[in-house]
Amino acid sequence: MEQTEIIEPIQETMEEMYVNMGPQHPSTHGVLRLMLKLDGEVVTEITPYIGYLHRCHEKIGENRIYTQVIPYTDRLDYLASMYNNFGYVLTVERLMGLQVPERAEYMRVILAEMQRIASHLIWMGTFGLDLGNFTIFMYCFREREKILDLFESVSGQRLNYSFYRIGGMPLDLPDSFLTDCKAFLEWFKPRLPEYDAVMTDNIIFQKRVQGIGKLDQKTAIDYAISGPMLRGSGIKWDLRRNDPYSIYDRFEFEIPVGSTGDVWDRYMVRRLEMAESVKIVEQALRDLPPGEIMGKVPKKLKPPAGDIYSRVESPRGELGFYIASDGSEKPYRYKVRSPAFVNLSVLHVIGAGHLVADMVAILGSIDIVLGEVDR
Amino acid sequence: MTPEEIIQAVKSQFGEAIKASEVKGVEARMDVERGKSYEILLALKGMGLDYLNCISSVDRIASGDLEAVYNLSSLNESAKAMVRVRVPREDPVIRSVVPIWNAANWHEREAFDLMGIRFEGHPDLRRILTSEDWVGHPLRKDYQDERLVPYEPA
Repeated sequence: MEQTEIIEPIQETMEEMYVNMGPQHPSTHGVLRLMLKLDGEVVTEITPYIGYLHRCHEKIGENRIYTQVIPYTDRLDYLASMYNNFGYVLTVERLMGLQVPERAEYMRVILAEMQRIASHLIWMGTFGLDLGNFTIFMYCFREREKILDLFESVSGQRLNYSFYRIGGMPLDLPDSFLTDCKAFLEWFKPRLPEYDAVMTDNIIFQKRVQGIGKLDQKTAIDYAISGPMLRGSGIKWDLRRNDPYSIYDRFEFEIPVGSTGDVWDRYMVRRLEMAESVKIVEQALRDLPPGEIMGKVPKKLKPPAGDIYSRVESPRGELGFYIASDGSEKPYRYKVRSPAFVNLSVLHVIGAGHLVADMVAILGSIDIVLGEVDR
Repeated sequence: MTPEEIIQAVKSQFGEAIKASEVKGVEARMDVERGKSYEILLALKGMGLDYLNCISSVDRIASGDLEAVYNLSSLNESAKAMVRVRVPREDPVIRSVVPIWNAANWHEREAFDLMGIRFEGHPDLRRILTSEDWVGHPLRKDYQDERLVPYEPA
């Protein structure tokens, strides 16, 4: 049989198609599903589908007394549990007008900033992993392990600490903590240039992340972006400085900002923030006063009727709690404004028009934790 | 602007639509009519409160209302605002503020999903945290799930 040769004309554009990225994808950092519309290898449209980890966090909060909510806040952003505790207890304290002893405030800041370092380390490691840099992953987890050891010596837990109480702290720092923490900081500071050597100064890494996923300032404010993402776009905004809570107004630290708002800038902001957190912890350890750790708190917590929205600067951005009280023992309404939820909502703007491989880098640079997005 | 000035300015512009107002610290708090909520929020944005922190929803079941709470702040000023809008449970419709802030998009979807407030003019009002075929709005105080039965010891 004679074979006829069919030559198809080469198409100018590829056929458009839809691809599911996730919910089981190693680069989505949890169960996030992104519906990508592809033109060849270029992403033209992104539709995120969230809620796979929804567990009625807010409804549960309405059915627990105020102190019982604290362990649930741990599970919001499980990489920065200390900070969720911090934000929640601060909101209830503001609602009730409670005073916290000095020593407890210092303890809170020390633990919260150590938590920020740990959270940024995990982000840096997994971000490196997303881009094929396995070494940085091992480095970062090595350091984070030491922070977790410190937290374990303080609270007995390695991940979900539930260590803040409304009105103070439950336990004093163990005797060994001061020396251990100082030793860790001295050991940690020379590690930062190591990350630069293996990641920041790596030309392959730089070429991968520079100029992609740009977020301009106007869009950032329009979408209410916060945290390192906002600072990466060049806006010098940090709640620790601009709307100080606890005792953050006593410490000296810089607020690193980016210039163009691309993935590289967001990376650099987090990388530099770790050094700033070290500075804050050092100052807090130096000034740590002796004294009480628990303020005067009524046995039954019954905040006056009313509502409040209060916010803290978590490692991911503005973590806000809205609590409406009806004067009873349980919050009438308890709502979490999670930074990752809001920051993720801008993905379809900054991700469109990039290659699929770049999408992974852009998604990684947002630093999402799905426990917090889905609540 | 100070919170007192903000309340003054909004009151002079909208008068009757501001049902109640108070100043708490640096925060201007006001309860507004739903018919004018969009215009009031737009005016607040014009006064420099251009950062939409959060939209919360509350079920005020005792008075038969649903409530949407808007928290606004600014990156340049210290003033903040909290705007509350009440709608009856039978007709829970509020004009969407997505044309003012894109940040409202997911917050409004969440309030629709969990509380059942419908935002008129929202470009994409779908459920966001629960699945597409979910029935009811779980954060309402009278929400019942027939799959959940009370525990009875044998």
